[in-house]
Amino acid sequence: MTPASLANLIEALRVLPGVGPKSAARMAYHLLQRERLGAARLATSLAGALEQLKPCVRCNNYSETEVCASCADPRRDPRLLCVVEMPADQNRIEETNAYRGHYFVLMGRLSPLDGIGPREIGLDRLVKRAQDGLTEEVILATNFTVEGEATAHYLGEMLKAKGLKVTRMARGLPAGGELEHVDAMTVAQALLDRKTL
Amino acid sequence: MSMAERVDNEAGFILHTRHYRETSLIVEILSRNHGRLALVARGARRPMSSIKSRLLGFQPLLLSWFGKGSLRTLHAAEWQGGDLRLQGRALMCGFYLNELLLKLLPTDDPHERLYDRYAQTLAALAGGNEAEPILRRFELDLLSELGYAQTLTHLIDGDEVRPERRYGYVFDRGVVVTEGGPGYAGKTLLDLATRDFSDPRTLAEGKLLMRALINHYLSDKPLLTRQLLIDLQQI
Repeated sequence: MTPASLANLIEALRVLPGVGPKSAARMAYHLLQRERLGAARLATSLAGALEQLKPCVRCNNYSETEVCASCADPRRDPRLLCVVEMPADQNRIEETNAYRGHYFVLMGRLSPLDGIGPREIGLDRLVKRAQDGLTEEVILATNFTVEGEATAHYLGEMLKAKGLKVTRMARGLPAGGELEHVDAMTVAQALLDRKTL
Repeated sequence: MSMAERVDNEAGFILHTRHYRETSLIVEILSRNHGRLALVARGARRPMSSIKSRLLGFQPLLLSWFGKGSLRTLHAAEWQGGDLRLQGRALMCGFYLNELLLKLLPTDDPHERLYDRYAQTLAALAGGNEAEPILRRFELDLLSELGYAQTLTHLIDGDEVRPERRYGYVFDRGVVVTEGGPGYAGKTLLDLATRDFSDPRTLAEGKLLMRALINHYLSDKPLLTRQLLIDLQQI
């Protein structure tokens, strides 16, 4: 007979993606037998994160303050607003050191066939954010998947209706790419999205 | 349970993908000779997966899979090439087509003609043509391929439909003389039968008839993409 607190722990671990009853039990026993300190740290940091993290009122990314450090940074260019799907996408763009504007993180994408529509991801908040009077250009950097494209189209229509300038991140050959070794779909896209010199 | 099979280089389109376990995808496809089916693309969500970038909707692919049962394993996907780009509203319409197929078309039921119509419909949408007639034509073809469409040129009792009169439509039976109610112009029904959408009234009434039929065969399950198209229109 499994004690109630152990059963609770196993059940709780199953909220993690891809974790079924067997994996959950394995994790629970591992934490109790070999990682008691780590388990305590996991418990306190989880409680702390839940307590302290809220969406930044400006960019929607997780923040401990009402306005996150990135949005509060006066060195950033307030005329540019880059829209990404997930925090990891923002981190990736930050790593480039090539962009010094602001961000908005959707925390998702439109996925019409999964029932994730404009209401579910709060596109209205982005439209409001973009109308702060300082933003001159909204850069749509959602993924180049069919859902990312649908999101970009929908957002583009909403933002253009408000008179904002909207651009879409370019796609094409990777840096240093050689035609011969790049997959055919990327080559085709690069040709279709060619630009005038 | 079907026999273990191996299918190579089958023409197909991806209708939808969803996450499966930690690193895999379940890919719903429409294939030309094997109909609609679900495949597992193992490891497709790993960062360096080479297959993921080719598992894009609305692109003509050559797909290879093996296995038996309801979940077979996808092992190769090649892009067939071409200039088939759904953008903007056309892309949203593409999602609508996919939702219709996912909700109405049974799995493992080959419909070569429907597959060809789907490919032609995507090409027409990508070509920037007016979407409404394209969607109506596809809906009609889908319903008739599934055996849900009754004749529109004749009444249930065999009389010919006359363009100047108005008629009603009874699900699973067909055209009847209307007893009050809005109904459809005889000309609309005849135009739908020949897929002629040049008359604006045919387009408007045809949309109502198609919507009623599709709702009926979906048992009134909501179509998510239809709402999205309506929302988009209202921006």
